[in-house]
Amino acid sequence: MAKPGPKPRKSAAGKSGNSLDPITFSVILNRFNTIADEMTLTMEKTAWTSIIALARDFSCAIYDAKARQICMMDALPVHTNSMHVVLREIARVFEGNIHDGDVIVCNHAYSGNTHVGDFVTACPIFHDGKHMFWSMTKGHQLDCGAFIPTSTPAAAQNVWQEGLQLPPIKFYEKGKRREDVVRMYLANMRWQEWLYGDFMAQLGSIWTGRRRLVELAETYGNDEMEKYVEGIFDYADMRMASEIRTMPDGDYDGVSWLDTDGQGGTNIEVRARVSIRDDKVHINFAGSAPQTPGANNSSFGVMQAAAGIPIMCAIDPSIPHNDGCLRHISAEAPEGSVCNAQYPASTALATIGPDDTMQDAVWKALAKAVPERVIGGNGRIPNVPFFSGTDSREAEDREWGCMFFNGATAGGASSSTDGWPLIMTSAGMGGLKILSVEMSEMLYPMRIDRQEINTDSMGHGKYHGGPGVNIQISPTSGAMECNLFGDGQLNPPFGVMGGTQGMGGGSYKESLTTGKRTYCSSKGRIIIAEDEVWVGESSGGGGYGIALSRDPELVLGSVLEGLLSVACAKRVYGVVIDAATMTVDPKKTKALRKKLRAAGVSRHVTVPNVPGAADWAQRRLRPGDEFLIDPQ
Amino acid sequence: MRHILGVDIGGTFTDFALIDDAGEINLWKEATTPADPGIAIRDGLAALAETRGLEIRQLIESLDLFVHGQTIATNTVIQRNGPKTGLLCTEGFRDVLYFRDGFKPDRYNVSLPREKDFIRRDLRLPVTERIDYRGDVLQKLDEKSVREAVKVFKKHGVESVAVALLWSIVNPSHEQKVKKIVAKQLPGVPVVLSSDVLPMIREWERTSSTVLSAYILPGISEYTINLEKYLAANGFGHNLLVMQLNGGTATLAQLLKRPIYALASGPAAGPSAGLYCAERMKVNNVITIDMGGTSFDVCMVTDGHPALTQDMRIHDNPVGVSAIEVHSIGAGGGSIAWIDKGGALQVGPQSAGAEPGPACYELGGDQPTVTDVNVVLGYINPDYFLGGRRAINAEASARAIDKVIAKPLGLTTEQAADGIFRIVNTNMVNAIRVVSVEKGIDPRGYNLVVGGGAGPIHAGSLGRELGMAQAIIPRFGGVFCSYGMIVSDVRLDLVRAFASNTAALDLARINKIFSELEGEAIAELKSQGFPRSRIEIRRFADAKYSNQIHELTIPLPSRGKIKKSDIGDIAEEFHGLHERMFSYCVRESEVDLFHWRITALGKLPDTEARVFKRTRKPVSEAQKGTRPVYSSEAGKFKKTKIYDGDLLQHGMTVVGPAVIEQENMTVVVLGKQTLKINRYGDFVLAIN
Repeated sequence: MAKPGPKPRKSAAGKSGNSLDPITFSVILNRFNTIADEMTLTMEKTAWTSIIALARDFSCAIYDAKARQICMMDALPVHTNSMHVVLREIARVFEGNIHDGDVIVCNHAYSGNTHVGDFVTACPIFHDGKHMFWSMTKGHQLDCGAFIPTSTPAAAQNVWQEGLQLPPIKFYEKGKRREDVVRMYLANMRWQEWLYGDFMAQLGSIWTGRRRLVELAETYGNDEMEKYVEGIFDYADMRMASEIRTMPDGDYDGVSWLDTDGQGGTNIEVRARVSIRDDKVHINFAGSAPQTPGANNSSFGVMQAAAGIPIMCAIDPSIPHNDGCLRHISAEAPEGSVCNAQYPASTALATIGPDDTMQDAVWKALAKAVPERVIGGNGRIPNVPFFSGTDSREAEDREWGCMFFNGATAGGASSSTDGWPLIMTSAGMGGLKILSVEMSEMLYPMRIDRQEINTDSMGHGKYHGGPGVNIQISPTSGAMECNLFGDGQLNPPFGVMGGTQGMGGGSYKESLTTGKRTYCSSKGRIIIAEDEVWVGESSGGGGYGIALSRDPELVLGSVLEGLLSVACAKRVYGVVIDAATMTVDPKKTKALRKKLRAAGVSRHVTVPNVPGAADWAQRRLRPGDEFLIDPQ
Repeated sequence: MRHILGVDIGGTFTDFALIDDAGEINLWKEATTPADPGIAIRDGLAALAETRGLEIRQLIESLDLFVHGQTIATNTVIQRNGPKTGLLCTEGFRDVLYFRDGFKPDRYNVSLPREKDFIRRDLRLPVTERIDYRGDVLQKLDEKSVREAVKVFKKHGVESVAVALLWSIVNPSHEQKVKKIVAKQLPGVPVVLSSDVLPMIREWERTSSTVLSAYILPGISEYTINLEKYLAANGFGHNLLVMQLNGGTATLAQLLKRPIYALASGPAAGPSAGLYCAERMKVNNVITIDMGGTSFDVCMVTDGHPALTQDMRIHDNPVGVSAIEVHSIGAGGGSIAWIDKGGALQVGPQSAGAEPGPACYELGGDQPTVTDVNVVLGYINPDYFLGGRRAINAEASARAIDKVIAKPLGLTTEQAADGIFRIVNTNMVNAIRVVSVEKGIDPRGYNLVVGGGAGPIHAGSLGRELGMAQAIIPRFGGVFCSYGMIVSDVRLDLVRAFASNTAALDLARINKIFSELEGEAIAELKSQGFPRSRIEIRRFADAKYSNQIHELTIPLPSRGKIKKSDIGDIAEEFHGLHERMFSYCVRESEVDLFHWRITALGKLPDTEARVFKRTRKPVSEAQKGTRPVYSSEAGKFKKTKIYDGDLLQHGMTVVGPAVIEQENMTVVVLGKQTLKINRYGDFVLAIN
C-alpha cells in the first residue's frame, strides 16, 4: 500500500536550514563534487597498474571529522556504500592520536574493510587547528602477498593465506613517512615496483583532496563549513525519506546462490528480507548458509554495502549519495554466516561473488515491493581471469600480472531500457573499464584473438539484458597462470516481471594440438600452456518484462546490432524477420505471437528461484572435454 | 586596398568579418542556407562588395586570406544526420565501437539509456589480417575478405568508409592496401584511414575518431570544394583556409585527409579572438568566456597558448585528437531557473532557446530565464534590447520569476531574481574553476576576455568572485568567433609513436623523427606561401613514469637538435607538471617518452588594428541618462548612470555602478569598479 506523497519543503537546507543561504548551499555542495572528481582523476591518471589506471577498480570520497560520508563521485558502489565502516574503525583505533599530516592505511576485512585486496588510504584534514574532514581512497591492489599470484585467491582458507593483513596503521605520522613500515609493506608484495606507484597515486589523491578542502575551509571558516555540511546531510536525508515513503511498507524476501565456495562446495544459499517501514529500510540476511571453508565469504563491510546498493539504485539518482541518504538503510547478518564471516575465515572474494549474490537476493526482494524500480540481474564475472607469468619478450625477463576485465558480463534490463554491456558486477555497476587491446598486447605477453558480442547470451524480455562477450587470448611468452575468482556460471543473472535469465557462461582452455577443452568453474587456478588458448563466453544480463510484448522494430534493431539472432527473434520474441531483406514480416509475426501467447507466458516476479539454473557448461561439453570444479 | 575575410557558418546565421589593411572592419550576417551552405557565402560576398563599392570579383581578388569555419560538422554528429557510413576492422574485433571502454557514466541511474553508435553492426565488417605490437605481420591481408565486405557496403548504399585496423599505428600497410581496394570497387566514395587521422595507440579512440571523420566528411567536402573552385574562378590567388578544432587553420586538402579537425571549428576560434585583443595590451594569460543564448564556453590561455584536451567526446564517442579545451555548460541568457524536488534553486542547463524564448519575449515562454532576471534587475534596458529591434516586456519577466521561484521560496521578486543571477554566476564560476583551479592554475593571475551578448553583464561579478583583477571586453565581443577566425594562425599538429626513456634516450632517432615531422610541416606551410621566418615549430612529447600507464604531454626544447644536456630538464619538466597537477611526483623514477608531437604554425602577418586618439571629452557626453538598477551588495535598487557604448572613446573612464548599452551587448560595471576605453576601442574593466 502506497503512503501519501512527500510534503513539499520550502528550503533546500531542510531541518537545520533556516539560517543557511540557499546560494552558498548550492556552491558548497557542488564544490565537494568537483573535489572528489579531482581526487578520482588523480588516481586514474597516475596509477602504475592497469587494475587502477585502466580498469578503474578504486573509489575516492570525502568524509567529515565524524566519518560521515559527504561526497563521492563516479566511484564503485561496493566501496562507497561501506567506506564509512572502515573509516570509523580507523578513527576509533587512533582516537586522540590523529594529527595533521597523518596517512592511515588499512586492508583488514575484520577492521571494517571490504576485502584484503582493497587498500585504504585516509588522511585527516585540519584547518585552524581543528580536524574538519577526511579524504579517503580505496584501491584494489594487484597483489597482497597471498600464496598464489592474485589478490583474489579463491582457495584461501583463512586470513593467513590471503596475504599481508594491515589493520589501521600509520604510513605517515605528522607529515613524515614511516619508511620502515612502507618497506615492510612492499616487502610482502609481488610486483612491488608497480604497487609502489599505486600507493603514490593513492597518496596523491588524498593529498589533492586535502589541498582543495583546506582551500574550501579557508573560504568559509570552520563554523560556517560545519553548518553547511550538516545542511547537506539534512538535504539528502529529507529527499531520501520522501523517496522511501513512496515504497510500500512490508517485508519482502529474496533468495540467490553462490556457485562454489572455492573449495568445491556448490550452490551456497543467501537469503535476504527487506523490511520497509515509513522512511527506513532494514535488510536482514538471516537464514543464509553458514560461512564456507574457502574465500567466498562476505565481510561485515561488504554485507553493509550489498544490502544498501539496490536501495540506492531504486531512488532518484540526483539525490546526493552521502550520509544523509545512508542513514535510512540498516543491515544485519548472523555472525558466522556466509554473509558475515567470523575471524579467521577468508573473505578474499567478498566484493565479488558474495556481494553480488547478496545484492541479487535484495534486488529480488525489492522486485516484490517496487518492481518498476529494479533491474534484471547483472552478471557476476565467472570469466575475468587474473593472468600472470614471466615476460621474456625483451632482453631482461620480467614478472607480470594483470586482472583482465575485457570478457566480463553485462547488466540487466530496466523497466524502460535494455541492459548495458560490460556492467561487470553489481558491486561495480559499470564503474570498471576494459583494457584497450593494443595497450594489453604492449604491456603483457598476450595476444587477444577475438573480443566480440556474444549473441543471444542475455535474458530476454520487453527489454533485454546487455550482451556478454566472446573472448579468446593466447599467451605469447611461455605459459600463463590463470586464476579465476568470479561467480555466476551456475547461477545466472535473473529475469524480472516475466523477463528471462541470462545464459550463465564461463571459460575454458583449448589445446591447439589436440582440440581438447578443459572447462573451469567460476573459481580456480589453471595454467595456459604455450600451445593452448583461453576462451571466455560471458553472460548477458537478465531481461525485464515479457519478450512477446517487445516492439518488433526494436527486436529487429537488436538483430541488426548482433545482440539477437534471427532464430532467437522468432523463437523467443515471436518476431519473424525476412533474412533476405532484413525486415519484419508483420503478418507472420502477429500470427506467431498469438500462438506463443496461447502456449502460455511466464509472469514470475523473478526467475530463477532454484539453485544452479544455468546449463551453459553442460550444453557445451563435448566427448573428451573435461570440467574442473575449483581446481587449485 | 587589400582585405582579409572570416566567414563562420552557424546554425542560424552565416557571419562575415572583413578587415582592410587600414584596420577598418565590416560585419555582415546572412541567413544560413543548409541545403547548399555556399549560397549564403556567395550572397554575403556580394553584399560586402557592395558596401565597399566593389564588384564581387574585385573584392575576391583583393583578398589575402579567406578563413572559413562552420558548425555543419558538429551539427551533423549531434543530430546524427550524416551519410550511411561503413567500417572495416580487424577480424575478431567488430565491436570495438560498441564496447567502448566498458564504462557506464552514472552508477546509480539504472535506467540510463545508452547512446547509439555511429555505425550499426551490420555495417561494421571484418577483414582478415593481423599485425602485432611490433608491427610484424602475423596474418597477411586477405584481399578477398575486403572485396566481400565492400559488396555488402555496395548493397547497402554506403556513402563513406572508415578503416581502422589493429596496430596500424606501427604498420599502416594493410590499411593502405584496403583503401586501394575500396576505392577501386566503390569509386567516388571517400575512404578515411585511422593511421592518417590519429596514429596513436588505443583502438577505441582511434576507431571512433576515424568513424566520426568518415561521418562528417561528405557534408563538408562538397560545398567547400565548390567554394574553393568558385573563389579560384573569381581571382582568389590563395588556398581556402578552414578553422580547425585545435584553434589553428588548415588548407582544405589537409582537412579532407583528417576531417575530424573540422569538428567544433566555430567555438575553437574564441581563444584566438580573446588573445588577439589581449596581446596588443601585452597580456598573454587570459581566460576567454563566451556567453550566448544557451551555453557558456570557457577556455584557458596560458603564455599565449590556449589549453588543449585529448578527451573531447561526442555522444560518448571520443574525438581522439587534441582539441582546444573549450569547456561548455548550459548557462546562457535563455537558461531556465527552477526548483528541484528537494527545494534547491537551480538554473539551467535547460534553455528556453530562441523559441519560445525568455518570458519577456511573450512568445509563449512562461519559465523565468537569466535574460528575464537581467531585465528585472535593470541590467537590460527593455526599450533597447538588440538595439530596440526586439520588443520585450519587463512585467512578463517579473510574473514568471514570482510564480515559479519567488512565491514557492517565500522571497520577493528582487530577492529571487538576485538569487538566480548569483546561481547562474556560481555555475559559470564553477565552469571557470574546472579549467583553471582544478588544473592547479590560479585564475587570479589571469585576465578575463569576455564575449557574447550577455557575457559583459556577468563578467564583473564572475571576476570579483574569482579574485581576478581585470576583464577585457572587445568592442566586437558580440561576434566573438568569426572575429577570431581572421586572426588565427595556420596550424598543423603531427604525431609519431616511438618508445624511449630518459635513462637511455635515443637522441639520434628522436632528432630524426623531429626532423622528418618538421620537414613535412615546413614543406606544407611553404607551399602555402609562408616564408621560413613566419613558421614556428613547437615540440612536445607524451611522458610518464616507466611503470605508469597514462601520459602527460610536456613541452620539449624546440630549437635545434635535442642534446644530452637537455635530458635532465625534460625529466624535471615532467616531475614539476606531475606535482602541480597531482600533488606528488616520483623524482627517483626514470621517465618514459612515447608519442612525439609537433605543432607547426604559419604565423599570419599582424593585421593592422585601428588605433584611436585619446579624447579630451568628458565621459558625461556618452551618458544617456539614469535608471534604477539592482545592487546585490546593497540589496536594493540604486539610481545608476547609463552610457551609450558607441559614444565611449579612448581616454574616457566610467565609474561604477553603471550600465553601458550597445546594439549587440550590455556591459555592467559594479560599484567600486571602473571601466576604461583603450586605444583600440575595447573596454577594459578594473574588477576590484
